[in-house]
Amino acid sequence: MNAADPPPLLDAVGLGKRYGGLVAIESLDIRLDKGRVLGVIGPNGAGKSTLIGLLGGAISASAGQIHFDGHDITSLPASERARSGIGRTYQIPRPFLDMTVEENLAVAQFSLSPFVASGTAAAERREILDRCGLGDAAPVTARDLPLLRRKRLEVARALALKPKLLLLDEVGAGLIDSEVSELIALIQSLKDAERSIIIIEHVIRIVKECCDDLMVINFGKVLARGPTTDVLGSDEVAAIYLGTSHGAAARTSTAVAPRADVASSMASTEPLLALDGVSAGYGQARVLHDLSLSVMQGQVVGLLGSNGAGKTTVAHVISRALPITAGRIRFDGEDITRLPAHAVATRGLAHCMEGRRIFGSLSVEENLLVAARRADAAERKTRLERVYALFPVLADRRNAPGTSMSGGQQQALAIGRALMAKPRLVIFDEISLGLAPVMMDRLYAALAELKREGFTMLVVEQDIERALDLADVAHIINKGRITLSGPPAVLRADERLRHLYFGTEE
Amino acid sequence: MSVLTTSVPERSLLLHHPFVRVALSGISFAALLAAPSFLPAYFVEIGFKLLLYIVLAEAWNLLAGYCGLVSLGSSSFFGLGAYVTVGLLNHTGSGIGLALAASALVAMTLALAMSRGLFRLRGLYFTVGTLALAEALRLLVVNVPWFGGATGLFVSADLPDVTELFRDAALLLVVASLVMTLATGSRFSVLLRAVRDDEDAASQVGVRAFRVKLAAFMVASALIAIAGGLQAIKLGAIEPYGSFGLQWSVDPLAIVIIGGLGMRFGAIVGAIFFVAIGELLADYPELHVAITGIILIILIRCAPRGLCGLLETALRRTGPTKVASS
Repeated sequence: MNAADPPPLLDAVGLGKRYGGLVAIESLDIRLDKGRVLGVIGPNGAGKSTLIGLLGGAISASAGQIHFDGHDITSLPASERARSGIGRTYQIPRPFLDMTVEENLAVAQFSLSPFVASGTAAAERREILDRCGLGDAAPVTARDLPLLRRKRLEVARALALKPKLLLLDEVGAGLIDSEVSELIALIQSLKDAERSIIIIEHVIRIVKECCDDLMVINFGKVLARGPTTDVLGSDEVAAIYLGTSHGAAARTSTAVAPRADVASSMASTEPLLALDGVSAGYGQARVLHDLSLSVMQGQVVGLLGSNGAGKTTVAHVISRALPITAGRIRFDGEDITRLPAHAVATRGLAHCMEGRRIFGSLSVEENLLVAARRADAAERKTRLERVYALFPVLADRRNAPGTSMSGGQQQALAIGRALMAKPRLVIFDEISLGLAPVMMDRLYAALAELKREGFTMLVVEQDIERALDLADVAHIINKGRITLSGPPAVLRADERLRHLYFGTEE
Repeated sequence: MSVLTTSVPERSLLLHHPFVRVALSGISFAALLAAPSFLPAYFVEIGFKLLLYIVLAEAWNLLAGYCGLVSLGSSSFFGLGAYVTVGLLNHTGSGIGLALAASALVAMTLALAMSRGLFRLRGLYFTVGTLALAEALRLLVVNVPWFGGATGLFVSADLPDVTELFRDAALLLVVASLVMTLATGSRFSVLLRAVRDDEDAASQVGVRAFRVKLAAFMVASALIAIAGGLQAIKLGAIEPYGSFGLQWSVDPLAIVIIGGLGMRFGAIVGAIFFVAIGELLADYPELHVAITGIILIILIRCAPRGLCGLLETALRRTGPTKVASS
């Protein structure tokens, strides 16, 4: 090594973390020079979030040493590491819920410099918020922000620390293309000669356009590292991580042909689920306007749209987690508009909610059984076996605590739990959110399997291609209204679908 | 409520001008000090009780409402204050002021000594930990011969009359109010609430959560200990089951939940309500407890932010703020 080289900003050597017998990270080395952007990719459960925790100080290392900016920070707690210039975001946002957006930023400012002039601090906050696209939200209580704006707040709060090293944990998950472009512009504006960034991301575009170097980890070990383009081009990386979706021929493999027998029977029968002129909202904000939608027995309906379009609200309205202000909802001919959520569930309508909602204190098997407690023992066993057959990984980990699993496994568990109730209709809400491409393939393969068995599904999805591959009929929802409906082939040919991709829809 | 000027809704109410606030507070405290000269003895008695409860509730609100430390250990510091004050009065002949100040110091020391262990516990575990502390202290006092066992101790020094005690309690309330104004209106309050909302996330943005919690815990303990000392002087006798009684831990909790958890005036409003109910139902003690319980249930169900929260919602509905902000 050349002696004239400046020391690296971050130098972690032999980093390791084990939970009892489980090794999350094993002898990992990271060197990061000032002003560089390093991407970290890997399948769900590879140890990426553990790595962020180790660097940020939330998790104490079992082995190894971390030097930052010339100091040994291995034994420093999170607060001291933050004060020395390491800012991190959480994959699942953790804003200070009962404080305003602006106060969230002030926490970082006032903890670092309690006596900063209030004018300076306010100007800084305004600048950061504008930069992160939260300029209009300063006086809003963080609790009232939707998920994706909370992610922006995560970034803004970390920036308020004026960090020398910024750790971004999947900030791109769940964004549509135009939002990804905004995020990329933001990240690029953040890197300068003094600030380095580590990005953990599944959105390959962000990795491609932002990262100078890339590191692939799997099972807690470094699988490959080097300049971004080289690493992404490697066959091994493609095999363990990128999965089929990035291969040209792969699209067709998960596509399921519509079933002619079901299609013909649809016209005659009454829909299993029908929304008629439904309006709903949160507080004063009206999200859905006079929306009508129906799902036939055995049909797979896709509900697509950009963030904030109202997709998740539709899901909540159907499962009665959110009251509606106008309209009617019918399920199997019965009016369920005024029924409470649990009564709807017993009628055979299951909701696989966005964000997984796994019971952390229950084991995998208990999580599954919770949804089937009305069934007798033999029936429970049959259903359990069916779910295990669909997701063998759940069988392997049946006694592990629900939240000890990786994101992808948790999502499989959430899907399995929805199936355990033996529902007549399942709503899948954003099951691909924050998952590695290869894991999404697996989940969608499972959904395709369910479709072959004649399952009725309403699939709310960000990933348009995957949803269109699966659905018999898809609706595009924008600003609380359905703007386009039809079979996937018709939608694919429609100009407006492309607008949705690029976020240019009026 | 907000510390940042930009996020305060635009209101031109005279009440929100800082000088007006200081002047108003000054006048009300002057009135409070003068009150016992005019009020009949019964109201001075009730007033003393009310002041004491406000202080206890302010301290508990500081811990639970602003720092997220839901404590059931108020009685440990209340009893400690009582025993230290009476001990010093009996054995050193010091003045009341000195004895109370010393009890505050001892309480802060105990809080400091316990913090390492207690702050390892989060959420409900912390609550149980503080409860255990109170029980342990009471058993210690019962069993160690110096403290008079279960019979307790009498105050041998001359006792001041209730008028003077009322003024002492009013002074203590001034101190508590100043502390609360600092804790809720300063930059420190931003750190406090950050720790309350998410301690780990607060650490990740540089907040030294342990120190923030310790500061709140020590200040609250000192206030509670002084209140305990005053109550001991008022009674003229102390015994472990009274001074370390669970009521001193539970009543402040009930008061703050009634008034409004984490609301600046939650403690005052709650204490007035609580003491008023207690007096109205003084002849029916069983009914008193039952009614307080029912009120708690109704409030938690319908108004989780207490009476102050109800008031705020009502004001917002009628006031000009909504138009300005929307």
